[in-house]
Amino acid sequence: MKSTLLVSAALLTLVSSSPVQAQSAPVKLRFVSLAWQTQAIAAVKEAVAGCNAANKNVQVEYQQVSWDSVQDYLTTSFQARNVPDVFHFESTPVMEFAAQGVLTDMSKLIPAEMKSDIAPGAWATVTADNGAIYGVPFLWESLITIYNKDLFKAAGLRIPTVAKPWTWTEFQQASKKLTVDKNGDGTPEQYGSAFGLRSPTNRIMNLSLGFGGTYFYKDGGRYVVRVGDKEKALLKILLDMQYTSKSSAPESLTAQSPELFTGFFSGKFAMLPGIGVWARQTIAETGPKNFNWGVLPPIKATTQAQGSATQTLSIPAASAHKKEAAQFITCFVSRVNNGKLAAGDWLFPTRQSSLRGAPFQNEANGWRVASDSAKHLTMAPYQEVKGYTEVKNKVLTPTFQQMLAGRITLDDAARQIEKEGNAILAKYYK
Amino acid sequence: MTRTLQPRAPAAPGRPRRRPRLQPARILMGLLLLLFVVFLSFPLLWLISTAFKPLSETFTAGLLPKQPTWANFNEAINDLGVLQSAANTFKVSIISALLTLAIATPASYVLARRPSPVNRAVLVWILITQTFPVILIIVPLFLILARVGLVNTHLGLIVVYVVWSLPFVLWMLQGYVSGIPNELEEAAAVDGATQVQTITRILLPLLIPALVATGLYAFVNAWNEFFFALVLLKSPELTTIQVNLSKLRGIEGLARWGPLAAGSLLATLPTLVLFGFMQRRLVSGLLSGGVKA
Repeated sequence: MKSTLLVSAALLTLVSSSPVQAQSAPVKLRFVSLAWQTQAIAAVKEAVAGCNAANKNVQVEYQQVSWDSVQDYLTTSFQARNVPDVFHFESTPVMEFAAQGVLTDMSKLIPAEMKSDIAPGAWATVTADNGAIYGVPFLWESLITIYNKDLFKAAGLRIPTVAKPWTWTEFQQASKKLTVDKNGDGTPEQYGSAFGLRSPTNRIMNLSLGFGGTYFYKDGGRYVVRVGDKEKALLKILLDMQYTSKSSAPESLTAQSPELFTGFFSGKFAMLPGIGVWARQTIAETGPKNFNWGVLPPIKATTQAQGSATQTLSIPAASAHKKEAAQFITCFVSRVNNGKLAAGDWLFPTRQSSLRGAPFQNEANGWRVASDSAKHLTMAPYQEVKGYTEVKNKVLTPTFQQMLAGRITLDDAARQIEKEGNAILAKYYK
Repeated sequence: MTRTLQPRAPAAPGRPRRRPRLQPARILMGLLLLLFVVFLSFPLLWLISTAFKPLSETFTAGLLPKQPTWANFNEAINDLGVLQSAANTFKVSIISALLTLAIATPASYVLARRPSPVNRAVLVWILITQTFPVILIIVPLFLILARVGLVNTHLGLIVVYVVWSLPFVLWMLQGYVSGIPNELEEAAAVDGATQVQTITRILLPLLIPALVATGLYAFVNAWNEFFFALVLLKSPELTTIQVNLSKLRGIEGLARWGPLAAGSLLATLPTLVLFGFMQRRLVSGLLSGGVKA
């Protein structure tokens, strides 16, 4: 009996020290992705599978969450400390989460190669004042103008090029020329432009940057909101097109961009200005066959600069596997993957080397013109402002909507934004 | 077995039967009702139409697809796994509805038949709990479920749905129980029935319509619920239908309309079928709760 026990003990020791047992189980990471288009999901799944195959010690479980619900999902996850190890979101809310202390500072986890390849403007969207980095920016978008080539030809318009873009004055003139009252009843059947302005704030903020209008200014260590001439420039143009030259479709004031596609396809709207580059996918896939459309380069104000937020990958502070999560992000946003992920979403990769790749330099579906606009992208100034979301929801959006609907004047809107916006900001900068 | 034709009974003497006249007011009312039905059914018609439209026709006007396709159903079923998530949701909804009824039925009996200050306080508390926003309770609830190992399980979600539906079901059921005359139970007691027999043989059969109505309420509550399922279930294979369908929605009001319509249509069918079967009992259940003896 004793010998049996001894043999058993020896066998157990051998088994427990065998190489199979010595191998540690792979670290499991949960990755929350927001990709939702078929091609984009395929690109994400391919990248995840590639990273899992390349590093057997770190296995990533992919979880898809919708854009509509991710804010609530993450908020509750942070509160309950049951967090994904890596999550996909947008730089503006990410920096607000960072201010709450729930995200990992990734500045020491990012490899030098990635640091130098991703555009500096993109890094700015995820970098705090103290240099801490709270996400890896991997996708971003510019606002472009999509146009109906046949209507341009019929109107005899010069098509602006990357080398010779339109000024806003030229754009307004073209929009007026493309506005046609075909039956003479005083109401145009064809409008030059249709801005989707139901949620106008970010669009106005990002395009105003070309006029030098930033809305938010640093005053000592705090931000204040001001609406001066530079901020008013774009608003004047929008109001002029709406109420004076009447070259912008009135129904677009209360519409979101996708709601304008039907009118664009039917020829009711000649241009969809200030729309995201992603819209090309919907137009290419759902537009009528032989629909002749193209992309115009960004309209020039003082400059062609545009504000932009980025789509990011971040690591919660409560993640137990920060190092492995950073390794996964490095693999997921490799040069090749970044190109595929951006192409799948019809957006731009933030890696400059990826943007030079073939998909983004193709003439088809306006890729080359759209990609060229990426060089004008920079961090939207509102990104750095604490309390921006509250100012946006409570003051900017309702005030812009009232002004665009003609219920208050531009000067009233400016006063209202400054008074009410600064009252909110004062709470955040005590 | 053959049937023989019976001679028709002679018309009753007296005033001849008048044919109903078509009055303009009745025609107008009928037309208005028809318009109302069309108005109500339009979202469903749009859903069916979009589910069968190819991508190129998504934004075109007209309800009839020019080139009808099954591709959207294929994508919803094979790529998104709508059937799996529908089965998950059905399982969670039906179990939580049955559990809710199992707890609420005896509790409602006590609340209705044993009035006391405590029971009245319980009823008030039930009403107050209905005002709590979901976001307020999700974090403590999550922490409790995590502590007992029920996060990312259907059982955890079932527990949440039972807790979530129970107050209102209890409130409804105690109203139904109060509506049943106490004299019935007294008569049964006089006939020698025990309390258990009184409840199982007298009360429960009378309560069946009410149980159907409240059970359906609990079922639909769980079937349509989104937020708890989103937060509590992490693994894709456990996902419920509402969370799964939300993956087809994108930014700025964009969505993958075809698969979303196909998936929504599939998700609507089980509740429609269930309501179809239960409709008569549901109506009588609602009425029985509304009339006091």
